[in-house]
Amino acid sequence: MIRALSLLLLLALPARGQEALVAALSQDAVEVTTGFTGAQLMVFGSTDQPIGPGGDEVLVVAQGPNRPVVVRRKVPALGFLWVNGPSARFAEVPGFYFIAGTRPAWQLLPEEQRQRHSLGLDSLRLVSTGARHPRFRAALLDLEKRSGLWVEDTHPVEVAGSRLFHARLPLPAGVPTGDYRVQVLLIRSRQVVARQTLDFRVDRVGTADRIATVAEDQPFLYGIACIFLAALAGWVGSVVFRRS
Amino acid sequence: MLWNPALQVYLPIAEMSVDAFLLVGIGFGVGWLSGLFGVGGGFLLTPLLILVGIPAPVAVASGANQTLGASVSGLIAQWRRGNVDARMGTVLLIGGFIGSVLGVQLFALLRRVGQVDLAVSLFYVIVLGTVGGLMVMESVRAILRRRTAPQRKLHEHFWVHGLPFKMRFRKSRLYISVIPPLLIGGFIGILSAVMGVGGGFMLVPAMIYLLGIPTSVVIGTSLFQVVFVAANVTLLQAVQLGTVDILLTLLLLAGGVAGAQFGAAMGSRLRGEETRALLGLLVLGVALSLLWGLLRPPADLFSSGVAL
Repeated sequence: MIRALSLLLLLALPARGQEALVAALSQDAVEVTTGFTGAQLMVFGSTDQPIGPGGDEVLVVAQGPNRPVVVRRKVPALGFLWVNGPSARFAEVPGFYFIAGTRPAWQLLPEEQRQRHSLGLDSLRLVSTGARHPRFRAALLDLEKRSGLWVEDTHPVEVAGSRLFHARLPLPAGVPTGDYRVQVLLIRSRQVVARQTLDFRVDRVGTADRIATVAEDQPFLYGIACIFLAALAGWVGSVVFRRS
Repeated sequence: MLWNPALQVYLPIAEMSVDAFLLVGIGFGVGWLSGLFGVGGGFLLTPLLILVGIPAPVAVASGANQTLGASVSGLIAQWRRGNVDARMGTVLLIGGFIGSVLGVQLFALLRRVGQVDLAVSLFYVIVLGTVGGLMVMESVRAILRRRTAPQRKLHEHFWVHGLPFKMRFRKSRLYISVIPPLLIGGFIGILSAVMGVGGGFMLVPAMIYLLGIPTSVVIGTSLFQVVFVAANVTLLQAVQLGTVDILLTLLLLAGGVAGAQFGAAMGSRLRGEETRALLGLLVLGVALSLLWGLLRPPADLFSSGVAL
């Protein structure tokens, strides 16, 4: 599939003029159904000059919708009971973050530029209130990485035929719904010379969506429905499985 | 096509993907035990759900929802046999409604300050530890007494019979104050909201030993209270916290109702005292394992959650 897409892209290139960078996504919507176990998106494209050491480099960054997150630290109360103690509240934390390049970002760009554009987990701007200790930020990074929601340099951008590149974006099952933005950067001599922004959405669809929407918009009706469905299921089940 | 034993299901409220067979299996196991012992089994279900990674608020709310479903058929059966004291049930229920409203407020407050997990665990340790310990002691004593002395008389007078606002409960053959049933109902309501349980395992002994209700109507009447309080908790949790996951509830019920029938068939072959002793040990076991979870130094000092 990648080959076919890449070929298509190559054929389309001359028609679009000699652009330094052309990129696209394999799909612009990810559907979360009741059977959703995660998804993989493909970012692919081509450059007008050869990619590789000494030549052009490509960096792909994807970011999901922000949400506020609290990080809590457990402390022993009375010396033996482990309870949640001090906490730090991060107001805007990306629900998904992905970065990958033909090489890691810190090798491609000057540190100052990398920090300014938030390229890399250590340069994410995370403003917190509450507990100030830097370990809270480190813990947040660690927890998000372990849940698979923050991904850094685990799926490098692969190059085929020196001018075609593609990267796989792994979306885990717990990925938040909303608008996502993917940026593809073309780097030449430690400078960003071209960039392209691509958008996609993650949406609940079908039964999963209907349940979540009703629960959110009409919680009273939803509650009543839960009561009746549970009662009905209990009654039907006892009739079906009666052993006497 | 090969049959794949793992069937992942995305739970829309918990916002996570779980193996459906695991949930049905948990439902079956808990249902089997609850059929065997004649209790709702919520006290086993909620900790198990938390153990497999369901967030505590969703586990508690959906647990209450499942308790309601699991108790409905029992209530219908008992009602048909005339074993429900509706008057006593209603008094218990008024207390239960007040208690569950208070309990859900308490739960919302705990969630805001980030201590839900601790509170749920502590409630379980204290309540299950006490109840389990009492049950084991009582049944061991009953087993010993069976060998040595004849049974005690059934009807006794307690201090509760001296309180005002007396009411006649014909089915229970009682003329007692409404204060004790109101308080008991209220207490169970709070537990129901915080622990996601129906409270049958506490209500039944309370009705027998504190109120002196005859054993024949105890099960039916407690089911009456459990069904309606669980319904109230479900509604309150859905409206106030949005944590009831109907898909989770239905998967648990699918296994639960089947398991309960098998358990009940087996339970009828066991003696009362032995059953109570086993149930007591089970309850104590759950309490101890949760206590261990609180005392053991955590593998992970930090945890995160979406801020409210």
